[in-house]
Amino acid sequence: MADDSPASHRRDPIKSSVGNVAAQRRRQNAVTVGKERRESLVRAKRLCRVGPSGDGDVPGEENDMVTDEEGFLLDAQTSSAVEDLKSAIAYQGKGAMQKRVNALRELRRLLSKSEFPPVEAALKAGAIPLLVQCLSFGSPDEQLLEAAWCLTNIAAGKPEETKALLPALPLLISHLGEKSSLPVAEQCAWALGNVAGEGEELRNVLLSQGALPPLARMMLPNKGSTVRTAAWALSNLIKGPDPKAATELIKVDVLLDAILRHLRKSDEELATEVAWVVVYLSALSNFATGVLVKSDAILLLVERLATSNSLQLLIPVLRSLGNLVAGDSHTTSTVLIPGHEITDGVIKVLVKCLKSDHRVLKKEASWVLSNIAAGSIEHKRLIYSSEAVPLLLRLLSTAPFDIRKEVAYVLGNLCVTPTGGDGKPNLIEEHLVSLVQRGCLSGFIDLVRSADIEAARVGLQFMELVLRGMPNGDGPKLVEQEDGIDAMERYQFHENEDLRNMANGLVDKYFGENYGIDE
Amino acid sequence: MAMVVDYKHDSSFPYWTSIRRRFAPDSPFFSSGNIERELLAKQVALDLTEDERNQLEKMIDNDARGIFCPIVGCDARLTLLEDFEDHYNARHTASCSVCSRVYPTSRLLSIHVSEAHDSFFQAKVARGYAMYECLVEGCDLKFKNYKGRQQHLVDKHKFPTSFEFFKKAHPSKKQRMKNQRKRAVNKKDEEASSKMEVENEMMEGLVSAVSKLSTSDSSPSTVSFGRRNARGLTFVPRSVQPPLQKK
Repeated sequence: MADDSPASHRRDPIKSSVGNVAAQRRRQNAVTVGKERRESLVRAKRLCRVGPSGDGDVPGEENDMVTDEEGFLLDAQTSSAVEDLKSAIAYQGKGAMQKRVNALRELRRLLSKSEFPPVEAALKAGAIPLLVQCLSFGSPDEQLLEAAWCLTNIAAGKPEETKALLPALPLLISHLGEKSSLPVAEQCAWALGNVAGEGEELRNVLLSQGALPPLARMMLPNKGSTVRTAAWALSNLIKGPDPKAATELIKVDVLLDAILRHLRKSDEELATEVAWVVVYLSALSNFATGVLVKSDAILLLVERLATSNSLQLLIPVLRSLGNLVAGDSHTTSTVLIPGHEITDGVIKVLVKCLKSDHRVLKKEASWVLSNIAAGSIEHKRLIYSSEAVPLLLRLLSTAPFDIRKEVAYVLGNLCVTPTGGDGKPNLIEEHLVSLVQRGCLSGFIDLVRSADIEAARVGLQFMELVLRGMPNGDGPKLVEQEDGIDAMERYQFHENEDLRNMANGLVDKYFGENYGIDE
Repeated sequence: MAMVVDYKHDSSFPYWTSIRRRFAPDSPFFSSGNIERELLAKQVALDLTEDERNQLEKMIDNDARGIFCPIVGCDARLTLLEDFEDHYNARHTASCSVCSRVYPTSRLLSIHVSEAHDSFFQAKVARGYAMYECLVEGCDLKFKNYKGRQQHLVDKHKFPTSFEFFKKAHPSKKQRMKNQRKRAVNKKDEEASSKMEVENEMMEGLVSAVSKLSTSDSSPSTVSFGRRNARGLTFVPRSVQPPLQKK
């Protein structure tokens, strides 16, 4: 399968523009392309530019920002490639199979060239029905592979383009079967992953067409790119918001074993995709969360957090842990028992994340800690006396806003007892006093000053704790010193009534007429 | 470990309770991690430069966190949360040149100045003119007394009953000490003035009462329409006080 040199399909770069109009259009194009580029980078769909066996256009070598003129040319070439495919399919004579494969390959190349393949042109020329025909049962592997590859890249585009794959879905799903060759199955999984990544509607279609079981089975082998692609496609397929698929997945026989095996032993790339599957399982399905909590999953997640430095891997692993803690009270009450080794391990890896340079890790680690700190008094003591607190205090004053908000939750949770049956939380004076003495109050007052409603609420609630709970009536003085009164006064003309009442209530109660009289 | 069992049955303040917080996978809470996932996956394939990546993150952050200014009547859109403080200081800190109180809009400032420092205003009030403007821009209703306006704000504009445009301030410590001494000396007078409510019937007594009170340093502990700080926004006094006149 010799690779045609890309040069034969590539024009020489366009020489300088002819006048302002062309330049303006190119600039406009760049802006739209820039926006499109940004969106495509962030979309859950992935373009296939290098095939399973390594052939295909090498990304980056081509000029990805296609000019207008080059774009028109590409579209024209694509339309004609589709025409070629049409006649190749119609052709019944000698060498028909090779003709078809060549035509498919040509189309595939055009669809893999740049970051923005000429999908619209391909669809307009009627590519889909032809590609569906090429997927028919009994077709040679090469043909199936090229057809699935074309469909993959068509599906990586805009929503209407992804939806265009609807007629092809049943066939793509059938080729996931164990009788298919691995590269073919993988390419079909990739295409389906893009379709699933589009949205809930398409996800439901795929689920009703039975896409889940074969994809799940593809995760069972120990290694290989096929396993990785299948895991990625599955993560898109089960991401909800309906928890049905997640619950169905965890029930697949031996799937839990496979997940644990990959978390334990597989290379980081594969473990990353599997971890994302766990993220969705734990975020959506209470049943799956229960199953995972009872297994070794937490231990394995902690192991990965401790040993890996790959941000790609750490994000889903940390989040999985967070979801398991957040989603099931059993996690903190029966697994992460203070004093047990596993609990110390969890605190340790969370501290590691707090120390990292990455925003996402710091934010989500704080979130996990806040949930553990919402546990029993022993949990609060454990965190309070750990390495986490000095780090959290520093983050509260220096980190970006979204991290500070999460840190605030941890610190505040450390200062109140668990919410009992009667709903009355009491203060843990020792923790409150110590944290305030170490300077956390100004961080909370900063949150009160922010425009974010939730953050302001959190800040005001902590201020209430300080005003009420600091011994010797020191609270009001401390709050005043940090310009807390000022911060609360802003709410007088704030549009949020809840916050207005909270702030007013505090000022009235603690800074009323008699404030300072007894000094 | 000492615990302060001090929970008041005052159900109006939502006290801090420590509870687990769970998020759905498509919650905005997770979006920065999700974006990171896709960027990292495609970075290798597309050779994103460090610069491009930073730009992308900034663009995404901005979109997600743009909000509107929450101060009533302000329709400013802030692209970044961080911009709020600057915006607030620039647009919502109009300060009174007489008493240094601060207000969130120039309109409220001017209403304050009329109601608190303008004897002409008080004279007209005394003569029965409807001088107290509704605080909500565009409403244009006026009232003969403070309480009438207050009621209107609560009834028509859903202000909380605890809202007061004129509010006792929390003066600085120095000021408090001064007031304490003054209180000891002028206890009787102070008591009289602090109990005064601006009612229709009291209009007549108002102007004369004002002139009787000693105002060498205008007892801000009983009458204050905002803090003495240059920063910060005014609070409304707890009880209605007659505005004082500086001699």
